[in-house]
Amino acid sequence: MSAGRDNGFPEDEYLAFFQFIYAYYKKAENKSAGYQDRFFSVGDRPVRLRFAGNGLIPALTPALAHLEIPLTNAPDLSVFLWDNVSTGTELPSIISRYLDSLGEWWIHLGKRGEINELTNERIHTAYHLGPNILSIIDLKENLAMYWVKDAQALPYYEIGSPLRTILHWWADRGAYQFIHAGAVGLAAGGVLLAGKGGTGKSTTALVCLEAGLMYASDDYCLVKTDPVPFVYSLYNTAKLRGDLDLERFPLLAPFVSNKSRLESDKAVFFLQQHFPQLVSRGFPIKAILLPLVTDQKETRLRPVTAGAVLAALAPSTLFQLPGAGSTAIKTMKKLVGQVPGYILELGTDTAKIPETILGLLSNG
Amino acid sequence: MDTLGYFNIKKPDVVHETIDGETVIVNLENGVYYSLRNSGVDIWNLIETGANFEELTAEITKRYRAAPDDISKSIRELLITLQKEGLLQVTSTRRTEGRAPQTPAGYKKIKFELPVLEKYSDMQELLLLDPIHEVDEDGWPNKVEDGGQTNVGGQG
Repeated sequence: MSAGRDNGFPEDEYLAFFQFIYAYYKKAENKSAGYQDRFFSVGDRPVRLRFAGNGLIPALTPALAHLEIPLTNAPDLSVFLWDNVSTGTELPSIISRYLDSLGEWWIHLGKRGEINELTNERIHTAYHLGPNILSIIDLKENLAMYWVKDAQALPYYEIGSPLRTILHWWADRGAYQFIHAGAVGLAAGGVLLAGKGGTGKSTTALVCLEAGLMYASDDYCLVKTDPVPFVYSLYNTAKLRGDLDLERFPLLAPFVSNKSRLESDKAVFFLQQHFPQLVSRGFPIKAILLPLVTDQKETRLRPVTAGAVLAALAPSTLFQLPGAGSTAIKTMKKLVGQVPGYILELGTDTAKIPETILGLLSNG
Repeated sequence: MDTLGYFNIKKPDVVHETIDGETVIVNLENGVYYSLRNSGVDIWNLIETGANFEELTAEITKRYRAAPDDISKSIRELLITLQKEGLLQVTSTRRTEGRAPQTPAGYKKIKFELPVLEKYSDMQELLLLDPIHEVDEDGWPNKVEDGGQTNVGGQG
């Protein structure tokens, strides 16, 4: 579980803080004449997103569209979401001023956005500078809140991979592990693509998609290690950067979702809208591949130790998730011990990349 | 730097796991991670039990074939490096319950290889920055320059 530091503050103060902010969510709901509920199957559990106002719905739901399910009465997690601009509301001024001060005095913020003073075992709070997203969860009641000032100002990476912090906190409690990895394969089994940014995860995932493999992730997903290693898709998003990348993927190029912002942002694609038959909600994990860009023509697989896989998977996951620590690395250790690991030496003849992965899957 | 007292892994900021003869250590405070192999794995696992310098040296000497002075010098250097990197705390009393595991009599010693702490600082940018942080501006397949790996502590 995500470890809350013991600040020595009474439990009821954390609960009062949660209720205080929730009262402002309710104000936003009242001002917007109600709420809109959307349900998603995350991992294999139902999650409810309750939006006050319409500002955040078009920003946050496309990436999750492949997981959408009909109304359910028993969500495992309920998230209350609002922005001030579309609801015509404000955060309490004391909180608003506090968040502004974190922007100037970011040394008081944990390295991964944690607000340690507002975090204990039950209540976790994080504030992400830049997009300025406030995330709070009550892990006992499985209730969470997600706030931004202006939904229109959300950056492409939040639109592409929304609610990472809240989903990580919740997943951590429920036997899933949020990880930084791509995932492609077949319904019967596929591979994780691990490694820091720039190693070729996205490209590998997309050449596999264009070759007809199932696509579960290019960046973030959930995994489970029991009873068998299994990856669950979170986002049906793909991202590319630069004209060269767009030329490389002619099938995708017409479907950029953020054409007007390509000067500053990566191109974001929502695959569920254009290739729903290739978007997977998950599959068993047969191997973990560490993509490596090379100048050679051929794509090759080179076996690698479990330690090397852990070093590729764990730091880039842990450094992005508020509160992730010893439990997360233990789960990742278990996972890398369950399946073989390979360096995937990416050849310049990219058509051979999916063939190589399919060859591995058919031998496994 | 201190080799007196008992060594403790700095929790919760430092997390670690050992698999297949390699220990991966992650410092969540600064975004740096490390790898230890060979005798370094044994030394790290003994540190986790709260051992002091004498206990570490005694145990490693029972497990590895080398001049005791060489082993003791290597352990001292590794401990100093681990402290410099902010991975260990030193306390005057043992914090961990129990004692360091005892190597059984008659244990077949293996050749001692210097413990090398490999340090990786290529992911520090993930902390507090744009979390989507991928290929360089020219797009794939242009490599992003690797932040690089170094051996620290002058032992490698």
